[in-house]
Amino acid sequence: MKKDTVQLDRHAGGLVRWATQGHIEVKEFYTPEDVADHSYEETLGDPGQYPYTRGLYQSMYRDRLWLKSFIVGYATVEETNEAFKKYIAAGMNDLRIGGDLNAQVGLDPDHPSAFNSISCAGPTVPGLYRFEKILEGIDLEQGVYELGDASPSSCLFRYSMLLALMENQEKDISRIRGNAVNDPIRSKLVFGIRDFTTEINKRICLDFIEFSKKHTPKWHPFSPNGVDLNQSGMDAVAEVGGVLALGEAVCRELQNSRGISVDEFGPMVFSMDADSDFFETIAKFRVARRMWARIAKEKLGAKTERAMKLKIGIRTSGLSLQEQNPLNNAARITLQILSCVFGGVNSLDSSCMDEALGLPSFEARMFSLNAQHIVTHEANIPMVADPLGGSYYLEWLTNKIESDVTAYMAEMEANGGIFECMENDWLKGKMLENRRKVQKERQDGKRLIIGVDAFKYPEGPINQAIIDSAYHAPPLDVRMKVLAELKEFRESRDPEKLKQGLKAVYLASKHGENVVRPIIDAIKAGMTLGEMVGVIRLGYSLPYDNLNQIDTPEYVKVMLKEAN
Amino acid sequence: MENRKIRILISKIGSDIHELGAFMLLNAFRDAGMEAIYTGRYQSPAGVAKAAVAEDVDVIALSDHTGSMPIIADFVIQELRKLDADDIHIIAGGLISTDDVKKLEEMNVTGNYTAGTPLDEIIEHVRKVVRA
Repeated sequence: MKKDTVQLDRHAGGLVRWATQGHIEVKEFYTPEDVADHSYEETLGDPGQYPYTRGLYQSMYRDRLWLKSFIVGYATVEETNEAFKKYIAAGMNDLRIGGDLNAQVGLDPDHPSAFNSISCAGPTVPGLYRFEKILEGIDLEQGVYELGDASPSSCLFRYSMLLALMENQEKDISRIRGNAVNDPIRSKLVFGIRDFTTEINKRICLDFIEFSKKHTPKWHPFSPNGVDLNQSGMDAVAEVGGVLALGEAVCRELQNSRGISVDEFGPMVFSMDADSDFFETIAKFRVARRMWARIAKEKLGAKTERAMKLKIGIRTSGLSLQEQNPLNNAARITLQILSCVFGGVNSLDSSCMDEALGLPSFEARMFSLNAQHIVTHEANIPMVADPLGGSYYLEWLTNKIESDVTAYMAEMEANGGIFECMENDWLKGKMLENRRKVQKERQDGKRLIIGVDAFKYPEGPINQAIIDSAYHAPPLDVRMKVLAELKEFRESRDPEKLKQGLKAVYLASKHGENVVRPIIDAIKAGMTLGEMVGVIRLGYSLPYDNLNQIDTPEYVKVMLKEAN
Repeated sequence: MENRKIRILISKIGSDIHELGAFMLLNAFRDAGMEAIYTGRYQSPAGVAKAAVAEDVDVIALSDHTGSMPIIADFVIQELRKLDADDIHIIAGGLISTDDVKKLEEMNVTGNYTAGTPLDEIIEHVRKVVRA
C-alpha cells in the first residue's frame, strides 16, 4: 500500500495584504524620518496634557482603570435583574441598560410590527412597571449607567424612567451618573428608525442635554456613536470624522439656540468601536482625543481643560465575531481589549465569544471580563500610560489618520455639514462604497477571516459547547405573557392622570418647550414609550403611528380635543 | 412562462436592524438575473404576505438575526394562507440554530442559511425551488 505524503509549504499562511483594515497602505518599517516634522509638545504632550493624544490623565490607569461594562438584557426582567447582580459581584461597575429591539425603535410590543421582536436582544420595557423590576435591589445613587439606545427617543425615555424611579424612591436625582448615546445621526443612518424626523431628533437631543446639565450634572447626556457607523461599513477615518463632526455640530447648536457654552457642556464622550486592526484601532483613539481637544479649543472657544478632554467609551466589534469556529472569537476579543488599553480608553464594553450565535452566556461574559483582569493583573499592561507612544509606526499612523480625517471632514463640510450629508445620502454613499470594497476584498482573497474564508477546521466539542450555550430568543409563550401584562397594565392606569401626563408632553412638544420634565411626570402616570413617541409626533402635526399601521388611540384623541 | 425571470422578495420582519445580509442577497440575486425586491426593515407578517402577492413573486426570502425565524416564518405562512397564496416558496437565512432548522424544515421553509454561506449556493437553491 502506498503511503500518503504531505507537501510542506514554506509560504503557507503568509500575508495577503499591505494595507490596514481601513485601506491605509503601510511600508515595511518606519524610522524617525517618518515622524520628523511633528514636535512632541504639539502633537503628543505628556499624558494628561493638551492635546491629550497620550491619554486624559497623567497617572492614567494607576488612579482610575477603565470602567468595565456589558449590555445586560435577557428576555425577562427577572433574568436581567439577576444577571446585573451577578456581574456586579464579578467586578462590573458600569451598567448598560438595554431594552428589546422594539424599545430601540420606539414601538410598544403590541404594535403590529413588533411581535416578532418582543424581548429579543433584551427585556421588553415599554414603561416603568417593568423597568423598576430590572433595577430592583440596585442603588441608583451608586454605580454608572449607560444608555446605548438606538435613537434619541429611546435614550430619553430610558433616562426619564431612571429619574422617575429615583424620585419615586425619594432619591436625589442629581447624584445619578452615566451616559446616554442620544445620537440623531446614527438613529437614521444606521438603524433607519422612523419614529421621529431629523428635526424632532435634534430637538429631543438638545432638550435632553439642556435638562441634564441643569438637573443631573454628573450625567453625560450625549455621546456621538461611531460603533454602529463602523459596524455598518464606515472605515476608521469615516468613523472618527463622523463623531467629531457631530460633536462639533451639536455643541454649536447648544451655544446658539440654548445658550450653553462648550465649557458648561464639559467633557465630551464618544462611543467608539474597537475593530480587528490592532494598530489602526489604537491610532484611531489617539486621533479622536487630539482632534477633539483642538476642535473644542480652536473652533468652539473652550477655555477649560474639562471641555477639551474627550472620554472614549468602547464597544468591541460584534461584526468581527464569527459563527464558524467560535472559539477563535476569544482571540479576537482579547486583541481588541488590548488595543483599547493601549489606546487609553475610559470605558470598555467587550463583546463575547458566543455573540454571533445569540445573546452572550454567563461564562462567555466572564471570559471577556477576566481577559480584562488578566491584562491588568498578569500582563501588567496598564501600569504605564500610553506605553506604545513614540513607536515610529504608531505615531506615523496616528498622524496619517488625523490628516485623512481632516480631509474627510472638510469634504463633509463642503457638502453642507453632517446633518445635510445624512439627509442627502452623502454619508450613506460613503458607507456603501466602503462596504462593497470590503466585500470585494474578501471575495478576492485579500482579506481573510480565519475559520471562515481560510484556515478552517472541523468543529469539535469545544466549539460545539460555545454554540450550544448562547442564549436564544424567547419562545412564543414568553412573548404572549408580555402582551397580556401590557394589556393589564394599560387598563390599570388612572385615565385622568394619564391624560394630564400626555397632555403636558403634547403641549411642550407643540410649543417648543423642554419636553423632559413632562415626560418624567407622564412616565409616573403610566405613559409607555410608544405613547410618548406618538404624542410628540402629534405635537408636530404628524400621524400618531410612524409606521402608519395603527390609529390614534381613543384616550389620546380625548386628550387632544382638550388640549386644542 | 418559460422565460419569466425568477421574482423574489427579500423581507425583514420586526425590529431587527441587521440588514447587511439582505443587501448582499439583493445584489447577488440581481446579478444572477433575478427580479429581486427588498421590503426594508420593520415589516409585519401581514404586510410582507400582501407585498408578495402584489408583486407576484415566486419566493420570499426571510432574513432575521434575532433567533426568531420559526416564529416569523409561521406567521408569514398563516398570512399567505389567508390570501390563498401559500404556493409561494419561503427560504430563510440569518441567525438560525440547528433546532430552528428542524422546525423550519417541518414548515417547508428551506435554505435556512447562516452567515458566511457562499452566495452561489443560495442562488442555486432559489433556482432549484422555483423549478421544482
